[in-house]
Amino acid sequence: MISGRDIRLSRVVVRLAAVLYAVAAAGATSVAAQPAAQTADWGLPQLMQDLAQVKAASAQFTERKTVHMLSAPLVTSGTLNYIAPDRMQKITVSPKLERFVLDGDQVTIAGGPDHQVHTFSLADYPQIGGLVEGIRATLAGDLAALDRFYVVQLSGDPSNWQLLLQPKDNDLTRFVKWIRIVGSQDRILDVETEDTDGDHSDMSIVEDAGDAR
Amino acid sequence: MPARRLALGVWLLAVVICVGVIARTHLRTDMTAFLPRSASAAQQVLTEQVSNGAASHLILLGIEGVPPQILVAVSKSMAARLRPDAAFVDVSNGDDASFAGVRDFVWRNRYVLSAGTTADRFTVAGLHAALANDLELLGSDVGMLIKQTLPNDPTGELLTLLNQLAAAKGPRSRDGAWLSAGGSRALLLVHTRAPGFDIDAQQYALARIGDAFDGARAAVPGAKAARLLETGPGVFAVRTRDTTKRDATRLSLLATAAAASLLAFAYRSPRVLLLGLLPVASGALAAVAAVSLGFGFVHGITLGFGVTLIGESVDYAIYLFTQTARGDPAGTTLVRIWPTLRLGALTSIVGFSAMLFSGFVGFAQLGLFSIVGLIAAAAVTRFALPHLMPRGFFAAGAGVLARPLLAVIKCRRRLRPFIALIALIGAVALALHRGGFWDKDLSHLSPIPAADQAIDRTLRHDLGVPDLRYFAVFRTADEQQALAESEALAVTLQTLVVQRRLGGFDVPSQILPSDRTQRVRRMVLPDADILRTRFNDARVDLPFRPGTFDPFFRDVAAAKTAPLLTRASLPPALALQLDSMLVHHGDGWDVIAPLRDVADPGGVAAAIAAAQLPGVAFVDLDRESDRLLHTFQNEATLLASIGSLAILVLLFVGLKSPARVIVVAAPLAASVIVTAALLTMDGGALSIFMVVGFLLIVAVGSNYCLFFERRDHDVATQSRSVASIVLANLCTVSAYGLMSLSGIPVLHDIGITVAIGTFLTLFFAAVVTTRDVAAQPAADRVGHRAQSPREERDRLPLP
Repeated sequence: MISGRDIRLSRVVVRLAAVLYAVAAAGATSVAAQPAAQTADWGLPQLMQDLAQVKAASAQFTERKTVHMLSAPLVTSGTLNYIAPDRMQKITVSPKLERFVLDGDQVTIAGGPDHQVHTFSLADYPQIGGLVEGIRATLAGDLAALDRFYVVQLSGDPSNWQLLLQPKDNDLTRFVKWIRIVGSQDRILDVETEDTDGDHSDMSIVEDAGDAR
Repeated sequence: MPARRLALGVWLLAVVICVGVIARTHLRTDMTAFLPRSASAAQQVLTEQVSNGAASHLILLGIEGVPPQILVAVSKSMAARLRPDAAFVDVSNGDDASFAGVRDFVWRNRYVLSAGTTADRFTVAGLHAALANDLELLGSDVGMLIKQTLPNDPTGELLTLLNQLAAAKGPRSRDGAWLSAGGSRALLLVHTRAPGFDIDAQQYALARIGDAFDGARAAVPGAKAARLLETGPGVFAVRTRDTTKRDATRLSLLATAAAASLLAFAYRSPRVLLLGLLPVASGALAAVAAVSLGFGFVHGITLGFGVTLIGESVDYAIYLFTQTARGDPAGTTLVRIWPTLRLGALTSIVGFSAMLFSGFVGFAQLGLFSIVGLIAAAAVTRFALPHLMPRGFFAAGAGVLARPLLAVIKCRRRLRPFIALIALIGAVALALHRGGFWDKDLSHLSPIPAADQAIDRTLRHDLGVPDLRYFAVFRTADEQQALAESEALAVTLQTLVVQRRLGGFDVPSQILPSDRTQRVRRMVLPDADILRTRFNDARVDLPFRPGTFDPFFRDVAAAKTAPLLTRASLPPALALQLDSMLVHHGDGWDVIAPLRDVADPGGVAAAIAAAQLPGVAFVDLDRESDRLLHTFQNEATLLASIGSLAILVLLFVGLKSPARVIVVAAPLAASVIVTAALLTMDGGALSIFMVVGFLLIVAVGSNYCLFFERRDHDVATQSRSVASIVLANLCTVSAYGLMSLSGIPVLHDIGITVAIGTFLTLFFAAVVTTRDVAAQPAADRVGHRAQSPREERDRLPLP
């Protein structure tokens, strides 16, 4: 019974993780546009360090989900907000208003099809807590902590980089094959998620100008 | 010697009959059997729950002392070792296997279990609404949640059911094993096949758990330092039995050794030493047989306590043996002391007989036990013992023991004001005592050490096993009625949940709906063709691929023809949960529905009453147990008072003089007062066990007083009489004194009370009650009657 809920929430978290990475990456690319990005020894440590500089970021997103049981893809759009160190919000505007908020340890989902507000604490779900801690570690530039949860691969160069995350944890690999974050110079282009069942989600992100750093 | 043969023949026959009765005796240990006949249904149900209910099968385990990763590995290894074991019904540690059974059951039977299975849901409009909702869910952030189950369950019954069943907060899991909040403990939940009161089976289960832990610790690298914590009703039962057994064995061996050395010193005859046990042993046999015949069963507590209550019959033999003068036949001694002995035994019998009228079955059994036991013991002392004593026996060493007390007796007149002062101080101390005299905390009566209670609280908290306090209970004639009425109750309770006056609830019908409801739910499921047609109409404007929902059609068709669910269909974990809420009880079925997070007990009680569900009562477990304890204490006090009055009346009848009654009763009253004052000296309260102790002080001490009150015709006889009392008292004080060393409340409380009280009685009675030796040889009775009332009054210690 409890695990039924855990499984459901694990999936929520996979999405949440992707979203957080998207926001984190969005902030990071803004920093990456700074001269530091031009150095010759650019790599994962440098990218992490840059991510840690982000204090706030906001962006518009369009997400396209391919679900095997549907004959047409599902398209949603809205806004993303991140405030360091641990507040994160995803507001879906179209086709329907829905709010997904992470504030510290608390996750709130509002406006879903059951029209109820669900709040739960990450501490109650260690696999989720581990994920979010991983993300916080990323934002703090702590690569070692990120390594605990994912096999991290960085490819490309500052003008066109790809961060491939493959979950290490068995609980997570049941739901998600990989998450790929694509960035180019000062633009985050895309967050892709491949589910274990072959379904695919592709979120393109357009960062708002003039974010606080 | 025909008298001798007759007496021994009758005794042997009686022993044989008693053994025959006892062999057929039904021994009960469940607490319901000890409860008042007048106990409310709620109290009986809840007490039975404690001893027999599903919760009593529960063992909570914690592993600690090593890093979290190793805890997880040990937890998994332990669970794998325990699961195949027939001693366990269910082993959960947070991994998938922990829930597989329940999840599979709920999944397969979702249409008969779900309240969502209504006719409306399966119309074209209902199906369209469900599918539109599904589409929305797929696009939302929780879309992943339903993807796997959607083809089978487009109407979302599983989610509804899981939400309903997962309402209670569970522990947190990490890598598939439950860990405590700080990650310092791995947690497991084990249901034993045997109930908690089956102590042998529980002990076996604990041994298996210990083996599994040792095996896991050896198999997992780095787990050497891991420690295992265990708690649960069965664990407590086993530990209590172990410590009680250990304490009782150790202390009774010590007590026997102490008493035996005293008696050996006094008697200098092993045969007489053993003969001294004959009255108490025969008494116990007769008492068990009588209780068995009178009540149809003997309670375990009656057995343990009863022997303590008739312990004074050991003294009977001591009086007989020690007061036999050198060269006198025992028969002669007996004829001389019999009136005193008889009155002493009658005093105790009358004192204990008040218990016969108790509403508590346990008290009533103890009453009958002690009455029959003491009568039998006195009869054996009177009719059988003298025939078995070695010819020419006398207690050679007893005289030495009497010397200190004889010295006290010599200067007793000077000591009397002192005794009066002590009694006065005791009375004043009691009068000034702040707070209640009664220990109201049930946990102080519990034999479970505080450290174990703390572990229990910790693990329960870690595992999120709620400490349930509030329940809705009712009783019906049959099982189906119970299920149907709990469906009605669920409607009322759900309203309270929606109003946020109640956090949640469990009713048996959530796990096993009534047959009627199951039939209705099966009936509203459309036939295959109709369903397919309606479904295709419903999804016409939605982007679902054709064929996606074929599993749904299969599942509905299967559900429509599946047999009705019964208790036998349930997986073990759910069967246990059902049994804890739906209890077959004699001629009826009890439903016990736990209520969680009751914000406003009064309001919830009123709402349940207002719903006018027949016979449904709101129960506050804490209040019920307080009330029970209160009744218990009131009754104990009442019975003790009635017993004391009855003893006074008996003494009047036996002694025929108010003055003599007073000199016999005064030391008893004084020693009970002073003992109570000493026990509550540090502001403490009296436990129920201490009241039993007071009763024993009076029972045992009254014999001392009566012997001191006898007028002996020469100094030698008086010395032997004093020696016998001293010997009896030394045995009692050493036995009960050793008992007071036990950490188990019942042993400690009775031990300390009786040891202090009887010693005080000995001293007080020696000073207050002892009479002068008669000037010339005279028969006792004549001597008493010759006493003038004025002389009697001169001896009174108090105005």
